[in-house]
Amino acid sequence: MDRAEARPVRLVISDDLQRGRGSVFFRLWFALPLLLWLAIWGLAAFFVVIANWFATLFRGTSPRPLHGFLARFVRFSVHVYAYLYLAAEPLPGFGGKSDYPIDVEIDPPLRQNRWKVGFRLVLVVPALILLAAFFGSGGNASSGGQANGIGLLIVAAFLGWFFALARGRMLRGLRDLIAYGLSYAAQVWAYMALLTDRYPSSDPLTAIGPLPVREDPVRLESSDDLRRSRLTVFFRLLLAIPHLIWLTLWGIVALLAAIGNWFATLFTGISPAGLHRFLAAYMRYQLHVFAYLYLIGNPFPGFTGERGSYPIELRIGERARQNRWTVGFRIVLALPALLIATAYGTLVFTVAFLGWFASLFTGTMPLGLRNAGALALRYGSQTYGYLFMVSGAYPYSGPNVAPPPPDA
Amino acid sequence: MRRLASRLKRPSTLALLAAAALWLWAAYALWHATASVPQGPALSPNRFFGDLFLERSSSYERFLVVDGLLAVATLLAVLAVYACRGHRLMRESAAGRVGTGMLLGMLGFAVVWLAEIPFGLAAVWWQRDHGVSRQGYLEWIVESFLGLGGTFLFIAAALAIAMGLAGLLRRWWWVAAVPAFVGLALLFALVSPYLVPSTSPLRDPHLAEARALERMEGVEGTRFSVEDVDRFTTAPNAEATGLGPTRTVILWSTLLNDDFNRAEVRAVLGHEIAHVAHDDPLKQIGWLALFLIPAAALIELLTRRRGGMGRPEAVPVALLVLVVLQLLATPMFNLVTRRAEASADWSALDATREPAVARAMFRRLSTTSHSSPDPPAWTSLLYGSHPTIMQRIEMTYAWERAHRP
Repeated sequence: MDRAEARPVRLVISDDLQRGRGSVFFRLWFALPLLLWLAIWGLAAFFVVIANWFATLFRGTSPRPLHGFLARFVRFSVHVYAYLYLAAEPLPGFGGKSDYPIDVEIDPPLRQNRWKVGFRLVLVVPALILLAAFFGSGGNASSGGQANGIGLLIVAAFLGWFFALARGRMLRGLRDLIAYGLSYAAQVWAYMALLTDRYPSSDPLTAIGPLPVREDPVRLESSDDLRRSRLTVFFRLLLAIPHLIWLTLWGIVALLAAIGNWFATLFTGISPAGLHRFLAAYMRYQLHVFAYLYLIGNPFPGFTGERGSYPIELRIGERARQNRWTVGFRIVLALPALLIATAYGTLVFTVAFLGWFASLFTGTMPLGLRNAGALALRYGSQTYGYLFMVSGAYPYSGPNVAPPPPDA
Repeated sequence: MRRLASRLKRPSTLALLAAAALWLWAAYALWHATASVPQGPALSPNRFFGDLFLERSSSYERFLVVDGLLAVATLLAVLAVYACRGHRLMRESAAGRVGTGMLLGMLGFAVVWLAEIPFGLAAVWWQRDHGVSRQGYLEWIVESFLGLGGTFLFIAAALAIAMGLAGLLRRWWWVAAVPAFVGLALLFALVSPYLVPSTSPLRDPHLAEARALERMEGVEGTRFSVEDVDRFTTAPNAEATGLGPTRTVILWSTLLNDDFNRAEVRAVLGHEIAHVAHDDPLKQIGWLALFLIPAAALIELLTRRRGGMGRPEAVPVALLVLVVLQLLATPMFNLVTRRAEASADWSALDATREPAVARAMFRRLSTTSHSSPDPPAWTSLLYGSHPTIMQRIEMTYAWERAHRP
């Protein structure tokens, strides 16, 4: 597995999640001079990148002065967006120095494959498309991509703004989600600026260093080997049609069951065993179908949502007592999670689009894409679990790892 | 001889013979439920069509027939290979017995679709070259790919029924499956008018004429629609679809352009309303039921070496058997539909009483779709779902003769 510390472009986090309410409230205004400076610097960087392309193409390595200038620009871009999106607290300096709580380390110039340098503008296109899913239409001008939906980072920042204003601190899940997006952005920008020839990795498990270990009642486990059948990949959308129809029919019954579950949990404080089991099976089936449709899993799933039947599996804990106040207002409370789930939907759709080509040509799904898609699906399942009263735990928006099984 | 006699006395043999007799009686009754039409005098196509058109239409059809035959040969070859090796794709499934069977069924048709793309494209090129089709090549591929989704859905549903029943009834699954398939066909026929895209209601003056023809042919409550096909083709067509309350006559928009005059459109309407009056969509389902009984039994018999229809390994073999049986039955189905079409032509003439208009309409049908008015008998047998244009023209003379005072 690709490890964060082994990457030539890595994100380093020393943020303590504390936020000043005043600074949060006026964040956009405080960021304006930074954005203006970023635009001016970006213009200069554009011409330096062109010079760097010629130089790297002829010499095989990026000249140190150009590399240093562009590395600072990438670092400054990350600082600005980390500040703007509330992933970090202090106002960053204008020089792109390495003293910011969300920082980027970039290796010194190394030899690069000239073929990869020559075709860099073409090679970077898939990475830019994925980056657009993170940033949406408000993305960095240098990304060049147009969003097809809501930008994940913008949604996280929007929700984080309210939370930080109310509590004086940022949520770890939202901060890590933004950091994950910035880690990917830094890699893409560095790749595009010819600071490295290592292709950007979208793997959330290695993007931001050590991840929190969480024992969520709804969690995803993967035993997928990344192999993909080219034939089923080519026809994946059509092959999923019977499942999508069955999922819709089952979904109608599940919706009625969820309403029943809401009343039952509100009155008794715990979800009835039968309804919990039924809704858990539906959620598992839904995950299997979406994993298949979005190429996160390879085999054709079964129609019953049977536990342990699919390589991308949803583990749902036993039913537990839930706070009746949170049950009563569940739909309202779930709205932020639904917003993030929608933005994650854009990400998984983009993953499927890019993964389709990759799997068709290579017969394997890239690890980074698979894990990014799995993260999106996990969040969606946790949202459904919360909405259906299967779990009282709020969905965790950032990447995380599950604890090892007790017998491991 | 004694052995044969003792076999004949077995209850299973007797039941089989009784079933065969019942099948024959049903086929006889269904055949005679459609009135036969007297043949007209043999006429030379040169009397109605120029030499140049006859030559061009013949060449046009010849290409499509050869292309179609090659496509069928490819279909059989691909399915034969798939029947031998398709079960290896079971490793791509984490579904149970039925789900895996559904996947193998869908993948079988996916492979066939891929193999048949060149023939489809060749047909599109030929039709575009003759001005019959307006469809682009990429457009055809995309539409055909999306259409494959419908095929997948159909095959997945059919296999779910067959394999589900095979799990319960073992070797006798087909006895219960045939009524289930017929039920599905009835349901599909009922909703089919709502599945036709880009339709709009037929308007006056054609609608008023359609209502008048309805009264003359003894039906009422038929819906009349126009399907917008101008984007894809210049060929004219019409169909009667739906059952009971959803009975609908659909005219292609190409029929309502300047090529066909009002009287000719009236002749087409009379023909389609006759299909409605004769309950032809329902009779087609009757024939489907008659086909499915031996076909399902044969599939059961021929998939036993792979564990029977309850096992997903049997699905590729079942696909091959089904397609072969369908191909073998096509000439018989064509015989049935040609009879129904001839009967509808006759009833339309009874309603419109305009044989000269019908002749002009048939002639125009041929010239606008480039179809050969007098194709070789073997192509008519294999592909002819309607009587040939010359047979239809000849029939108008037979009608005149029958109604001469």
